Amino acid sequence: MNYLRSLPAAALLAGVLASAPAALAAPKTTLVVGMAAQDVGKLDPQQAVSTIDRAVAVWMFNGLVRFAPGSVNPASIEPDLATKWEFSPDKTEWTFHLRQGVKWHGDYGEFTADDVVFSLAKAADPKRSAFSGDFAAIKSVEKIDPYTVKITLKHAMPSLLGLLTNYSGGFIVSKKAVEAMGDKYNSHPIGTGPFAFASVTPNQSLELVANEAYFRGAPMIKNISYRFLPSGASRDLAFRSGELDLEYGNSDQTWIDRMKKVPHAIVDVFEPAEEALLHLNQSQKPLDDIRVRQAIAYAVNRPELLAWQGKDATREPKSVIPGGNLGYVDAGLLPHDLAKAKALLAEAGFPNGLTLKVIHTQLPGMLAQMQVVQAQLKKAGINLDLQIVEHATFHQMIRKDLSPIVFYSAARFPVADLYLTQFYDSHSIINQPGGITNFSHCKVADKEIEAARTEPNDAKQVALWQEAQKKIVADVCAVPLIETLQDWVRTDKLDYGYDLKGSLSLGPLITEKTHFK
Amino acid sequence: MIFYVIRRLLAAVPTLLAVLTLVFVIVRIVPGDPAVAILGDRATPEAVVAMQHRLGLDRPIWAQYVTFMGHSLQGDFGTSMVTNRPILVDVAAVLPHTLQLTIAAMIIGTLMGVPAGVFAALYRNRWIDVLVRMVSLVGLSFPVFVSGVFALLLFALHWPLFPVIGNANLADPLDVLDKLVLPATTLGIIMAAYITRVTRSSMLQVLSEDYMRTARAKGVPWRRVVWRHGLRNAGLPVVTVVGLYVGILIGNSVLTEIVFNRPGLGKIIVSALDQRDYTMLQGLMTVYCFLIVVVNLLTDLTYGLIDPRVKQA
Amino acid sequence: MTPFIKRMATNPTTSVGVLLCILIVLAAVLAPYISPFDPLDQHIIDKLKPPSATYWLGTDTYGRDVLSRVLWGARVSLVVSVASISGALVVGGTIGMVSGYIGGRADLYIMQVMDVLLSFPSLILGLIVVALLGPEMVNLIFAIGLTAVAPFARIARSPVLSMKERAFVEAGRALGFSHIRVLFVHILPNILSEVLVMATLWMATAVRTEASLSFIGLGVKPPIATWGGMMRDGFDAILDAPWLSIFPGIAILLLVLGLNMVGDGLRDATDPKLSG
Repeated sequence: MNYLRSLPAAALLAGVLASAPAALAAPKTTLVVGMAAQDVGKLDPQQAVSTIDRAVAVWMFNGLVRFAPGSVNPASIEPDLATKWEFSPDKTEWTFHLRQGVKWHGDYGEFTADDVVFSLAKAADPKRSAFSGDFAAIKSVEKIDPYTVKITLKHAMPSLLGLLTNYSGGFIVSKKAVEAMGDKYNSHPIGTGPFAFASVTPNQSLELVANEAYFRGAPMIKNISYRFLPSGASRDLAFRSGELDLEYGNSDQTWIDRMKKVPHAIVDVFEPAEEALLHLNQSQKPLDDIRVRQAIAYAVNRPELLAWQGKDATREPKSVIPGGNLGYVDAGLLPHDLAKAKALLAEAGFPNGLTLKVIHTQLPGMLAQMQVVQAQLKKAGINLDLQIVEHATFHQMIRKDLSPIVFYSAARFPVADLYLTQFYDSHSIINQPGGITNFSHCKVADKEIEAARTEPNDAKQVALWQEAQKKIVADVCAVPLIETLQDWVRTDKLDYGYDLKGSLSLGPLITEKTHFK
Repeated sequence: MIFYVIRRLLAAVPTLLAVLTLVFVIVRIVPGDPAVAILGDRATPEAVVAMQHRLGLDRPIWAQYVTFMGHSLQGDFGTSMVTNRPILVDVAAVLPHTLQLTIAAMIIGTLMGVPAGVFAALYRNRWIDVLVRMVSLVGLSFPVFVSGVFALLLFALHWPLFPVIGNANLADPLDVLDKLVLPATTLGIIMAAYITRVTRSSMLQVLSEDYMRTARAKGVPWRRVVWRHGLRNAGLPVVTVVGLYVGILIGNSVLTEIVFNRPGLGKIIVSALDQRDYTMLQGLMTVYCFLIVVVNLLTDLTYGLIDPRVKQA
Repeated sequence: MTPFIKRMATNPTTSVGVLLCILIVLAAVLAPYISPFDPLDQHIIDKLKPPSATYWLGTDTYGRDVLSRVLWGARVSLVVSVASISGALVVGGTIGMVSGYIGGRADLYIMQVMDVLLSFPSLILGLIVVALLGPEMVNLIFAIGLTAVAPFARIARSPVLSMKERAFVEAGRALGFSHIRVLFVHILPNILSEVLVMATLWMATAVRTEASLSFIGLGVKPPIATWGGMMRDGFDAILDAPWLSIFPGIAILLLVLGLNMVGDGLRDATDPKLSG
């Protein structure tokens, strides 16, 4: 680009013609965010599965508890809609005391225990929640009085508080609003959070307004415009010209290096790391043959993938769950070895290689990573015939067992149990009742995952999780590719009001304290 | 005049009916059942049956056809299968952007193309004619996304004169204009190329007519002869091309909207296709056809303005 | 025929157009021999390198050589445009000729269907067909061909209408020749030049449509090199690597321009009174 931009005259002209308003006396109160999206999908936080929807849902909703803003460390979990809680010695009975006087957005009254009972029941209902599998261990949720609820578990679990945070199924929705609106709640969400839904313009933007009655105080930002801008280049240009204050990045070194050079820009690289894996569907030919799966594992070249994406926002994976999770271990992944890959394929009856029809998303970052993997596998004679669909359709189709290989990139609550349960426990196999995201039909580690869930001894629990990872790696249910941290860029005028180290919604939290300097 | 418009609108009804039928057929002959498209290929048979029932696909074809036509003619296109939002709401939200772009491009194309064509014809085979013909040939060879990307590289990056996001606030005319200039010029230049060529050749024909020479012989200044009489007579083919080109403009707006990040019909149709949103597709195709019918009508009315004889016909 | 060729040869526009087209056809045919690299080979270390001695036109996001991809991309553009327009010419031409020859009510209905097809923006029609059938090369050819059927039907019909009444056709009929024989032996040669002009100009449109569909993401699937697909990648990396969109953009422009020049030249040669 440099040779196109070196004319001093152009700079001068631009200065004269720039339409940007002169410096304002008062700091601005409208936050303009650029997101890589065509449109929003489902805004009911319990049905929001894409980063597009989740990053914004967290601005409108609360959980019973929350991670301290800017953190993904379970030790930082603090009160949100619940003010305090107690549990029985065997950790199967939990009592939560709720915050009083919290108002729902709009005319939907006060938040009470009824909403909690309703929300958690909805979260566990596969028809009305995308995260129902997570809530399988909950036996009952009872209202004790309008400001107290009791949750009874079928068995102790390592991460009940994790489930109840301001993240995925843990968000509390308004009983009255959901009952009144039905399906429409997805396009007109009612929450308790610092920002309330105002309007959505199809293919353009989602507008939020400050919830002046927010229980932590009126937000300093008054309006948020969440713009859908699928083209990365346009977002970057808009950011550079000041049209955007905050922008979703693409975890690529070229992007990071370039954005760091933009005046007044701060690039935030933060947790969690999303681990990308190829989930190999072992219920279908030819991937039912472990030799074919091993061949794919040998054909993948992780160091090359890392070199391609760059150092700042990536980590090399060592297991089938992301690094940094409690219980993570170096599980002994197969190294890159083309000769072995070809030999295994030949042994499995594919001396001339094979072709697999794979459904993949058109989301640029994921499509680009997949094209590198596609070229790597091709060297071993494994051809991926990519069927490229829109991201929401991709999510819908892969959950129906339509793709022999699923490229999936995800981060979960950072305790091994969740990732292991959702991706590798046979109860989570897709396209069946209770199915979540076990695309591979993996079932080798059920025993360990289940035992670890109720193991009271911490050291033994971790040992079980580690054993599970080794078994999954040995069975080649999934082939780890790369771990990618989150990265967004903001203007240095924007102060989050907290220190951003991590965010499970994969986007920065906009809280009541977030403001422009 | 009013009777003429009404008669023309009525005459357009069969075309609209034919197009609606075509839409109905296209959506149903493509491989794959909308219910399966929504549920996925391996959905259980029970789920597919339930979805077909919900969508009304289990009813006899003729009954579906009658319902579809009935609803469409009443302007009721239903709601999107994906977002549950009413289709007309989504269309109404973006239509102004597409119309602004199309109309602005038409104006730019006409203002540039007609004079260029007339001058080229007047100075036939001189350097100005050769230049105009070369430039117009290059202009109409540019796919709009190529010229769009080149325009972005030059006028938004190299010289940052214009914004890169075309998402204008419709209530603010200055904002609308600011965000319209680059995309409308990109589209308009291509249109200008077509108009230049048609104007030139039809002007050449007119210039050789007897009445032009007669008018000149009678002492009417040549300049006035050319611009008043010549252009009026050369105008019909030009108007035809402008009318025909509006269809291409609307089609090309898909690309312009992607390159310049503008909201619009094109962007909606791309996402409806991505998501196999059949109701949305039916609605959008009907809207497109309606627009084309209206444009054809306007073209015919313009004939009447240019040449009063057409009106009586 | 000789003055026809002479007129063409002396017209500088046509000469330049023919030259451009020949160059691009050569690039496509010789791509395997003259490409410096395999168009699919990723040189990850060299990603997004500007034009240099090794990579004459630079490399893309995956470190693939842009020059090699531009050369190979010519194949897709040419195959799709030639195949789709030949198909449209045969199908549309037949429909138009037969319809015009039969005349009467059938002709009226057929032409009404063609009008409906014609009134729809061709890019939108192509977009819908490819999106619903899936982005495969065959479907692209079908979709683009479909958009060009109606114009060929129209252009083939009108000369048939006027020629039907002419003496030599009626003579043929009187001599007891079959309808088909009359159509193909007597009428076809007379409209051939006009149809060829049309075909050349529509090929230019087909190249543009194919590139546009690829740019939208509905072209031949990755990793195969297509000019429109390269523009799409280039558009994503427009800030880091303008050469990614500039070179395939120029390639598309040159091919479309070449075809338009040839088409113009052909038309001037057939119909001298409109020329310069």
